[in-house]
Amino acid sequence: MRKITGKRMSAIMRRLVSLGLAAVLFATLLTGCGKGSKDKNTFTFATWAAGTELQEFQAIIDKVNEEANGEFKIEVLSIPSDYYVKISTKIAAKTCPDFFWLTQELISKYAQMGALADLTEQFQNSENLTPDMYYEGVISSARYAGSYWGLPWIANPIIVYYNKDMFDEFNVPYPAADDDWTWEEFLDICREFSGKEYRGNKVYGTVIDGWPNIETFIWAGGGDIIAPDGETIILNSPEAKKGMGYLQTIVSEGLSPRYAEVASLGDNNVWYEKQRVAMYFGGMQDNFEKKVAEMDESERFEIGYAPMPVCDDGGAWSFDWTASTVMAKSLEGDELAYKALEAVTQAFFEWKIAPPVKGSLENVVKINPQKEAAMDTIAYTMDYARSAYYIPEWSDINDKLWYNLYVSLLNDAEFDYEGKMDEIQTYSEGLVKDRK
Amino acid sequence: MREKRQRAGFYFVLPWLIGLCVFTALPMLAAVYIGMTDWDIVGNASFVGFDNYIKLFQEEAFVRSLWVTIRYAVLAVPLIIATSLAIAVLVSRNNRGVGVFRVIYYMPAIVSGVAVAIVFKWILDPSYGLLNGVLSFFHIQGPDWLYDPAWVLPSYLIMAVWGAGGGLLTYLAALKDIPEDLYGAAMIDGANTFQKVRYITVPLMTPIIFYNLVLGIIGAFRKFTDAYVLGGAGKEGNFYMVYLYEEAFGHYRMGYATALAWVLFVIILLLTFVVNWTKKYWVYSE
Repeated sequence: MRKITGKRMSAIMRRLVSLGLAAVLFATLLTGCGKGSKDKNTFTFATWAAGTELQEFQAIIDKVNEEANGEFKIEVLSIPSDYYVKISTKIAAKTCPDFFWLTQELISKYAQMGALADLTEQFQNSENLTPDMYYEGVISSARYAGSYWGLPWIANPIIVYYNKDMFDEFNVPYPAADDDWTWEEFLDICREFSGKEYRGNKVYGTVIDGWPNIETFIWAGGGDIIAPDGETIILNSPEAKKGMGYLQTIVSEGLSPRYAEVASLGDNNVWYEKQRVAMYFGGMQDNFEKKVAEMDESERFEIGYAPMPVCDDGGAWSFDWTASTVMAKSLEGDELAYKALEAVTQAFFEWKIAPPVKGSLENVVKINPQKEAAMDTIAYTMDYARSAYYIPEWSDINDKLWYNLYVSLLNDAEFDYEGKMDEIQTYSEGLVKDRK
Repeated sequence: MREKRQRAGFYFVLPWLIGLCVFTALPMLAAVYIGMTDWDIVGNASFVGFDNYIKLFQEEAFVRSLWVTIRYAVLAVPLIIATSLAIAVLVSRNNRGVGVFRVIYYMPAIVSGVAVAIVFKWILDPSYGLLNGVLSFFHIQGPDWLYDPAWVLPSYLIMAVWGAGGGLLTYLAALKDIPEDLYGAAMIDGANTFQKVRYITVPLMTPIIFYNLVLGIIGAFRKFTDAYVLGGAGKEGNFYMVYLYEEAFGHYRMGYATALAWVLFVIILLLTFVVNWTKKYWVYSE
């Protein structure tokens, strides 16, 4: 073996040091690449929109930029897949977009992590858009720990779509478009259809496969998962258990196709479109009207609309999927950034159903004229549309609610859901207690 | 002159060395540190020492996902090797049209994992799926497959066997390397087809079986795409990598997820050492 001399050793060391320096330089260059230098009045807006939706989004941004007359400029960053993975990675890399969409259940988490700008002061003192202009059920989704962390731009609460032709065939009276019906009455109507034959197929009252959200059933009994204080877990209340009892009835009496059977037609909404269920819990935004209009004449049916059944506490609570546009923490207090955020949020109110602000229901028909027949139900539902009280531990709690409770009950009607709710209650309380 | 040539060689490999340092060594070092932190991806990470490693062994979800993955690996790896080898032996013959079969069997290796998962979602559908359709033809009531916890693992094994052709090329190459005169000598000795396979083909294929065994173990423990897309009732489709991904990007527990990644690395490393140690007992070498 050749002996390494001192001279040779120092040459090797020199090379290794230069290699290390080159690597560090290269890494620094790579990191630097992510931080593009842009004007202070230019803001990046990350969206999950893609395809046609992205084109519509871009058109709105272009219009807002034009109206800003050079005061600010918004640039679009489309992230159509793995949206939250990429957003969180960008935040970690300190290249967070200035504005980005955030679904309601993540707002408290991102706020707690320190990724979002607190908008409370600017929001409350705005001359254009204030919290009281929103429906309470919507704006509460952007509120956490007493502050506002985003401006909601969309609301998509659940209503009940039903098949009027099927109701006529079985001589079942329609539910009212803007009046109360209870969960017991809903179940009774389901019983009128389930297991019977219609157009050569076995049909059901409704379809439940993890949709609608578990909150729908927990609220049905007058209960909830988390109390409005954002601290207390109330999943094991008798009301919450009673609500899950409604779901158990649906499963045990076969008022919905079996969980394993639902996917056979594709998505759960296909069961409604193919006239295999009489009633479907759908978002206001669902475009059944267009789909039915495009069907062969022999396949078409008349769509009816009803609000959610009234829960045992007296409210016709409708789970409302909302999303907010949030601002990066680094822009907290920036007046120009907030102005841009506000301008673009207001522009969204004329884009999607349903606008989350009061007094804008006429926009629904402007956006989609086919929703005209649903307007009574939509107007009624907006007053009862709400989201859950989300807390930073939600993703963990939701995992348990979904896999250990909801899916277990869908798979087995005899499942001890009450015991499982007690178990998840204890687990969730532990999470809140250990909050950093 | 010699030193000049050495320097030139060094500069030639420098881009690769920089890439190795920046994209492999530095991230690995960073991962060692991140695995010892409580970091939710935003803000500063707080150092917690070995807490993440202690915690993960107390987590029911960790034990469960590891158990799901081990069961899959134990069954899928030998199944894939046996199927792959059998297919290779069948298509190694130069019969007419064999090229078409080689392409068909190798096809799964070049199809996207997500596409495969979506196709299998339909094949395994309890009501209208292809598999239960075939079973019902024989008056057999098919199971609920991915919707029944007891049938989730068999569902993934079926998918694994379907993709067994992925190792075909290596087996075919190894089969071509077996000297024909060995078979000729065996024939003169009166060996039948089974005996030729048992005493010539399989022993001479052991180096490539060993190679595929190691890759198979690594692949089984890193199973992600189809499991992430398809899931499975009762969390039976919650493989280790899916659990890791959900912890990182669903719950934003980067420190814990990184600790999970290191544990997986150690598991795979140990298994590779064990398999390598057994090599002397069953792998043929000249």
